[in-house]
Amino acid sequence: MSAPKIRLDCVSKSFGGSVVAVEKLSLDIRDGEFLAIVGPSGCGKTTVLNMLAGLEPLTSGTMTLNGKPIEGPGAERGVMFQDYALFPWRTVRGNVEFGLVYGPAGQGLSPAERTERVERTIEMVGLKGSHEKYPHQLSGGMRQRVALARLMASEPEILLMDEPLAALDAQTRVILQDELLRIWGQDRPATERRTVVFITHAIDEAVFLADRVAVLSSHPGRLKQIIDIDLPRPRGDATRRSGDFARLCQSIWELIREEAYRATMN
Amino acid sequence: MRLGGVLVYLRTMALFVLAWYVGSLLVPSKLLLPSPLAVAAALRDTGLNGELFGNALISLVRLLASLLAAAAIAVPLGLLMGRSRLWNDLLELPVEMLRPIAGIAWIPLALYLFGIGHRLPLFIMFYTAFFPLLVGTAAGAAAVDKRLIAAARTMGLSGPSIMRRVIVPAALPAILVSARLAVAASWTAVVAAELVGAPNGLGYAIEYYRSMLSTPTVMAFIVTIGVLGFLTDKGLRQLSKVLTPWAQTGAAR
Ligand SMILES: Nc1ncnc2c1ncn2[C@@H]1O[C@H](COP(=O)(O)OP(=O)(O)OP(=O)(O)O)[C@@H](O)[C@H]1O
Ligand SMILES: [Mg+2]
Repeated sequence: MSAPKIRLDCVSKSFGGSVVAVEKLSLDIRDGEFLAIVGPSGCGKTTVLNMLAGLEPLTSGTMTLNGKPIEGPGAERGVMFQDYALFPWRTVRGNVEFGLVYGPAGQGLSPAERTERVERTIEMVGLKGSHEKYPHQLSGGMRQRVALARLMASEPEILLMDEPLAALDAQTRVILQDELLRIWGQDRPATERRTVVFITHAIDEAVFLADRVAVLSSHPGRLKQIIDIDLPRPRGDATRRSGDFARLCQSIWELIREEAYRATMN
Repeated sequence: MRLGGVLVYLRTMALFVLAWYVGSLLVPSKLLLPSPLAVAAALRDTGLNGELFGNALISLVRLLASLLAAAAIAVPLGLLMGRSRLWNDLLELPVEMLRPIAGIAWIPLALYLFGIGHRLPLFIMFYTAFFPLLVGTAAGAAAVDKRLIAAARTMGLSGPSIMRRVIVPAALPAILVSARLAVAASWTAVVAAELVGAPNGLGYAIEYYRSMLSTPTVMAFIVTIGVLGFLTDKGLRQLSKVLTPWAQTGAAR
């Protein structure tokens, strides 16, 4: 393995001095890797993602991208927010094309290519026919798909995703998991893949998608363990049915079960 | 406006006019409270000879011109105040000191400066419209959802692009609300400003007919101001619907 794409070295984050959201987190994210992060609610997953996005300063530690400290947001790191952060004054189309039209992602694309990509992405997330609707006219699951499409349309090198499929029904979720793997580049050689950091609550989703699953524990948020998911690629329905898949899910569940119960009982 | 809405308006108006009529029978002096019939006659007369329309148009044009001028300065300044600590610190004190001073308080000074003519009512209405617009825009810009700005930053937009593509559209509903407040305040100022400082307009006409002791005609012009105030507000609400269809969810009309 070459030098890591992103390196977190002893990263801590506290809010207002008292709330320690993340403590001494060290983690290397490899180029072209699909990394999933799981952990109980409130353990600091979103906080980690915001720091990776360059939206939150670290309290201590260092975080580097290609060896250089992350000092702010950049278009090479696309983010899908847990609460979607859709622009309410823009239609579905207006939201999806936003980064392409006003950001650097659309440079070098002709208007026709841009339109084509926007259309294709909207279709991919199953929102064909809803182009002209505003976010407030959509269901929660549809909004989430708009946010997904907005991220995908820009085709960033690194995708930072915060529970991107959580609001979807089971069927749509399976379809979009497959789609996500395709976009990430599971059919391409490892060197031509994007880098994905994928937060989820669903262990089976993490196992199905990821190369590695980072399990966080809470209060304060720490790295509990990293599990390699060596299921063969390309993955698909056969993977979901395999015994190895079930075994991996089970072992991760056992890692976090105690803490999940504790979090729920509070 | 739907037919049902029109009927509701008419019903309310009819009740009001009826109460007015009864009141005018009870008040003995026609100078104090003319009957609605006398006012209707005055409306007809001034309407027919063009006086009503001419003066109303002048006041309306003055109001819109000063509103646009005020918006051209107050909106950009409000955006800066809402988004930049530096600008806010710089402007907050003078704004908060000038804002409580009613526009009409400047009339004596403005008379020296501008004399009688267009410029005085324009200035007074500009002043009156300016502060609601400034404060409303600043509040709207300050209240823009941080996550939306964060989203635009992660898509690589520069500061000025974020201002244009996120802050301005997000603050637009607040700006339009403050425009409605500004227009309402301007209508209250127009009369006072034209009363002393203009050779024409609705305020001038009111003062003129007052000196002629023609209360019905005075009332006719007052009614005209009320109607115009209502219509301009209606127009701005319609504009909000067109410009910000996405923000109309909770609106009853
Ligand atoms: N801006 C903030 N100010 C103060 N505390 C914060 C802030 N943001 C997060 N926290 C705290 O930091 C901790 C981690 O929050 P975070 O949102 O990262 O959790 P999470 O793992 O994403 O949870 P979930 O799975 O519910 O989304 C929580 O205890 C939370 O209350
Ligand atoms: Mg979260």
